[in-house]
Amino acid sequence: METTGRADLPGELKYVQYEHSLEAQYLPAIRALISKDLSEPYSIYVYRYFLYQWGHLCYMALDPVDSSLIGVIICKLEPHASHSPPTLRGYIAMLAVSSPYRGHGVATALVKMAIDAMARRNADEIVLETEETNVPAMRLYERLGFLRSKKLHRYYLNGNSAYRLVLLLRPIDPDAAADLSLDDIDLAPR
Amino acid sequence: MSQTNPSQDIIGQPSNRSSSDLDDPAPPMISNDGVVAIDITQKFLSAAATLEPGDLIKDGYFTLFEAVGALEIMDPKMDSGCLAPGESLDEDYDVTRPLSPSEVLGIIDQLLCLELAWNLGYPLSQTLLTNVYIEAMLMPSPVTIGEADFIRNRKHEPRDPMFAVLRAYCLGLLKCCFYVNERIKFEHYYEEEDFVTNTYHRSLLDDIDREEIREEIMAARRLLHSLRQDISGEMADALGFRLELRAAFLRAIELSDLRSNPESLSLPWSQMKAVWDTINKSRHLGTPVPEAFSTKIQRKLASTMPPRPIVQPSFEETYEQFKKLFADGIDVLKVLNYVDSQSLLNFVLTFQAQKPQPLVYIRTLLQSFLFKDMIVLGHLSIRQVVDDDLAIVVLPASRLLDPANDIVEAIHDPRFAIAHQMEQFRLRAAQSYLDIFRAFCQNRCRVRRTLCHSIQDWETVQVDAEEIDTLLQHQLEEKPMPYQTPLTSTPTSSGSEPLAYALPLSSWAYLYKLRLMEWIVQLGFELETYQPDELAGMYWYLSHLAKTRAQHVERIKVFTVQCMNEQRTNSTLTAAGEAQFTRSLEYLRVTILDAAVTWELADSLCCLYTVLQRLRLVVAPPRPYSTDELRYDIRMKPFAAIGLPELPSFDSFSRATAQPESATADLLEYAGRAVAGARKGYEVLAKLNEGDAFTAHSHARWLAGTKNCLKSVIAVNIAISTVRKVMGGLGRGEGDAEAGARLKTEVPRPDKCYHDWWIVPKVSEKK
Repeated sequence: METTGRADLPGELKYVQYEHSLEAQYLPAIRALISKDLSEPYSIYVYRYFLYQWGHLCYMALDPVDSSLIGVIICKLEPHASHSPPTLRGYIAMLAVSSPYRGHGVATALVKMAIDAMARRNADEIVLETEETNVPAMRLYERLGFLRSKKLHRYYLNGNSAYRLVLLLRPIDPDAAADLSLDDIDLAPR
Repeated sequence: MSQTNPSQDIIGQPSNRSSSDLDDPAPPMISNDGVVAIDITQKFLSAAATLEPGDLIKDGYFTLFEAVGALEIMDPKMDSGCLAPGESLDEDYDVTRPLSPSEVLGIIDQLLCLELAWNLGYPLSQTLLTNVYIEAMLMPSPVTIGEADFIRNRKHEPRDPMFAVLRAYCLGLLKCCFYVNERIKFEHYYEEEDFVTNTYHRSLLDDIDREEIREEIMAARRLLHSLRQDISGEMADALGFRLELRAAFLRAIELSDLRSNPESLSLPWSQMKAVWDTINKSRHLGTPVPEAFSTKIQRKLASTMPPRPIVQPSFEETYEQFKKLFADGIDVLKVLNYVDSQSLLNFVLTFQAQKPQPLVYIRTLLQSFLFKDMIVLGHLSIRQVVDDDLAIVVLPASRLLDPANDIVEAIHDPRFAIAHQMEQFRLRAAQSYLDIFRAFCQNRCRVRRTLCHSIQDWETVQVDAEEIDTLLQHQLEEKPMPYQTPLTSTPTSSGSEPLAYALPLSSWAYLYKLRLMEWIVQLGFELETYQPDELAGMYWYLSHLAKTRAQHVERIKVFTVQCMNEQRTNSTLTAAGEAQFTRSLEYLRVTILDAAVTWELADSLCCLYTVLQRLRLVVAPPRPYSTDELRYDIRMKPFAAIGLPELPSFDSFSRATAQPESATADLLEYAGRAVAGARKGYEVLAKLNEGDAFTAHSHARWLAGTKNCLKSVIAVNIAISTVRKVMGGLGRGEGDAEAGARLKTEVPRPDKCYHDWWIVPKVSEKK
């Protein structure tokens, strides 16, 4: 693991798949970590919406000593209706790493785990949005193989635009190309 | 995103509360005929008791949207009634307290900043509706001009002069906002993305007459004049200019509905532009009154949203943005001077390509000029514009466009059929054609996304047009002529060229489709959609499209010349017809030139980026989860369903981009030749006058863009020379790797380039 041996990290982090029984222990910390980067907080229902249905696509990076939360990724995986035939589309909804631990590949490790988990479940593609100013996030995803498919004007409440990033895991069915839209409306949390 | 109340179909038990908290109060007694009430409290509680904290019971219709819309009670960021200890629910500001002239000025200048924020896309709730005077004026909703005041029920005492000034300003401001809001709502825009039209059930003086408001503003200006001695002439002027701005804005809006005589329409805009500098110079006279602005007012608005912070740009930004708004307001009126359809298109293209893009109000104003009531620019039918365009592009002096065809009643007369078929074609194509103009009135991200859809539409327009072309061939008794398509150069068995028909209507459609496809790729550069290692491929594809367009226009030209010669031969060519042919051939010449420079410059950049990749100066990221082919699928998805021109296969795309059979030095030499060709072309373009370039009323903007392309050409040339120089100095046995080691490259962002569509790498020798 690329996080090993870094002086600033408390040893080798533990990476744990979320499960419902961990809610009491970790949900407050997950909310706190993610809310730090948001101008508007998500309600508890947003977290439960994802975690209850796709807890198996949520991974946490934990401090090896006290098991406190250092990073988290939250995803979903659903058939995407506006495609014909529908694709099985993974969506990375939230990704956060506690600021003192950034720059050590924790986020990359979490994203890889999420991609692997979604690929195992036959995802056709994985998408996400990222703020246009968030250069480190874009670099992270693009290094893994994501491509910017379109720019979304003033997508966030703070007035910033976003890029839609797409990772195609298997070829597009040429017969299904009747759906040309780059434009499937995904309602993503803002 | 507006937040709604938590949906009923979710039961998420709060994690830190026991069920006993829910025992109170007792259920209400419900008694009504036909209603049998059953108390399910206990059932509910016992069912809920089986749930673990955090268990989620939901039906299939509970979506992420509902989850995001749900609120949490007692979270101050979500619960609008949640107060900090000791915090009062309402603002305690007293709107009747006396205001000094400098405080009035301070409030007005803050309102200007908030008005700008609203125009930029922030909601009224976080901008103008945070002002206590505006709130007092709007609530309860005034019905008469007398009621429109922040101090109501003022018996007969005269209004304090400073209140009169502030009130008049607010009246003018709110009425302007009303019109701006209505204009935007009426046109195509994206709610919450471009603009928030929500007024939270506040009427922006909808029912108060504009004239009455104007009179109040005039009265306040007279009042200020009489106060010059008391409050200083400087202060009286400063306040007066702000009132003048409001009056002029109202007048500008009023006149814009006329859609004619742009010179006189621009007068109030020029007035605003002139007064704006004076306003900026006097803002030091103001004293800010921050307590007159409060986020608490949001609690009274028709919204479940808790108070959000006030969005207030600096006055410097406000100054710059409004200055641009007024300049754009003057500029956009020039579109009303219709000359020809291609100049109109170039006007819209260059106007919208400005950086920063005109604000949404101006963009919707342009839309209303273009399309309102299905009358283009206030005096042209859609047919006139479409026919004008067909005449320029494919059908100069053509029988197909003769208005006299419409009055032929003899059904066996070919002109009768022609009139019918041409009308069928217009019905089919006019909307798609106008949609191009509409698309370019959107924000840049949406332009690209909309065009990705439009090309599908044009694909079918082209097919349908070809059917009509075939019918018309028959009516016209058109003889096919020998024509060799450059792409399919298979000679016929006799060795002569194959025969072809002109196919004017489908040729017209195909030309637009090609342009749309190029724009999609070019906007991809502008919007930074491509990563550096994609640039070689995307410039190759752009050059492929532009080359296809050039060849297609050459084909149109061949048939146009043929048609002209025929008319000359049978002496049917009139002077008017001659002029039409001349105009059309000029258009075709410019279009071929434009396509040629695009293809050559794109070609040279493709080669240059390919070289930089060979030299390891542009390096692709590792991408363990992707393949080149899968990314090609994603990148080219908008074009995958287009039959003509067919999307190249991944293999041919890769070969054409990487050009493995060419040596690096050869690629550089080729790039140098291509860029030299582009340079010549751009130099010719830059010398065209507005008639020849089809840029009436937008020539300066077009020329500036063309000159920026020319600068890009020069920058490409420098980059190529730098690499060639280092390559030329390599020793025996040295190659790409050694050359790369001596160079460094930076791929600039589009706003750091001479032109947004030409991402020219900066290559330099390492010191």
